[in-house]
Amino acid sequence: MITFPGPVSALVTLPVAPDRDGIARVLDLERYAREALPDLRTTIPAFNRLLVEGSPHSWNATDVESRLAAGAEASLADAPGIDAGDPVSLPVCYDPELAPDLEAVAAHAGVDVAEVARLHSGTTYAVLATGFAPGFAYMGDVNARIAMPRLTTPRPRVETGSVGIADRRTGIYPAAGPGGWRLIGRVPAAFFADAAERIARFRPGGSVEFRPIGRDEYEAAGG
Amino acid sequence: MSPHGVVDRPGPFCTIQDLGRRTGRRAGLAPGGAMDQRAYLWANRLLGNDPAAAALEITLGGFALRFAVETAVALTGADCAARLDGVETGAWRTVRARPGQVLRLGYSATGMRAFVAFPGGLDVPTAFGSASAVVRDGWPGLLGRPLRAGEPLRWGEPARACPVRRVPRELVPPNTASLTLPLIVGYEWAEFSNADRERVFDAEWTVDPASDRTAGRLAGPALGSGPRVLDSTPLVDGTVQVTGDGLPLVFMRDRPTIGGYAKLGSVDPIALDAFAQARPGTPIRFTRADPDALRRALARRERFFGIRHEA
Repeated sequence: MITFPGPVSALVTLPVAPDRDGIARVLDLERYAREALPDLRTTIPAFNRLLVEGSPHSWNATDVESRLAAGAEASLADAPGIDAGDPVSLPVCYDPELAPDLEAVAAHAGVDVAEVARLHSGTTYAVLATGFAPGFAYMGDVNARIAMPRLTTPRPRVETGSVGIADRRTGIYPAAGPGGWRLIGRVPAAFFADAAERIARFRPGGSVEFRPIGRDEYEAAGG
Repeated sequence: MSPHGVVDRPGPFCTIQDLGRRTGRRAGLAPGGAMDQRAYLWANRLLGNDPAAAALEITLGGFALRFAVETAVALTGADCAARLDGVETGAWRTVRARPGQVLRLGYSATGMRAFVAFPGGLDVPTAFGSASAVVRDGWPGLLGRPLRAGEPLRWGEPARACPVRRVPRELVPPNTASLTLPLIVGYEWAEFSNADRERVFDAEWTVDPASDRTAGRLAGPALGSGPRVLDSTPLVDGTVQVTGDGLPLVFMRDRPTIGGYAKLGSVDPIALDAFAQARPGTPIRFTRADPDALRRALARRERFFGIRHEA
């Protein structure tokens, strides 16, 4: 489905699940759009959608729609060109003192906190979208047993490096601020100190692994 | 290096802005940039600057700048009864200044944001091709915070000859008691109820005082919360999102790049300039927009101000 949310923009929603395969197809479509449409100024892939923004001097909605439709069809026809690259690996301390929802998620799953850590860190995740804040990545899919919905009322303050869960998604807060995801662990804040590094860490379609660390290693990394 | 001027008083919220950063959107960076781009673009044009030269955005006035060199500046945007050493200067014009003179802006009587541009643009750090400060994004230094009292400023060509120029009276945007915002319907528009879709064009809202550089919030009649959106969707400038309380908000320059609530569409990007100047309480209505007319107006603006876009 293609819609036009602004005067020089088009939003394509692919009829696929918003998962590793879905974002890979969206990235295929993005590459196609970059070649087929002149003067694109921005493209934003997210989950199973692609936003393209063009130039007001050359934008022709009819032409854009037919080219994007052809690109969408091509991206659905073949197996997606997954290029996850080397996984980004981040250390996570799963400790209830650092993660206010860890025990609630364990209770929800009917397991102990060590098992939550094992289930959460036992998967290689795909980055399905970036955004919300610079350096924030929506990753999936979280093991169904620990996939707890977000809080009804967001917390006014979530600490830097907090690892959260919202249904089948997980993500890391790159800076302190309000947030509603269930917090189950913490990456040492030093990993988010440099703005350029923080922004460049995750890319849509990339893969991410979490390495469980103890409290001593977490503190040694600066907490 | 000695400063060309020092900010004696920054006022409630004064930041460095330009046309914002487009290239970082894919990485989740807020666009940033001057809230009222028309006023900002005119300030640079009056000085013969590059249209994207870094300038000051002064929210609500209350600002003072002491000059250390002979130079000129351009003043546009909200009328803050600017005075140079006590002599009223008027706005939408260039002003020449000598060392030791002080430019003071009072608190704005109408409008929200004044702009001061400098010959050659402010000499400040950039990130992703823009000097725009986005406090929410956590950049270091002036890229991430408002100016402080005593802030030293330098600009590109302080001694460049700048004749006194004024924006033609008929091109100075009028102060309006109320605003009608052209809305391109899109995103989840079709999934809102018939009653809600009618109400969008019948109802009148007012600008909520909680509005900021991220979003203009509207107070007034609540819509239904609309369809449940499962995954955050990429946003365009001026996206109108309906949050859980049923009230629309219009995303502005420091907006996120993706959003997870139901959306009605987006406001004419050019109308965002007037909206950026609307004070709390200003009545707001929506009217249905013709997207192609808005596209042509955007193209005219880019040609007029000489705006270039590199991919």
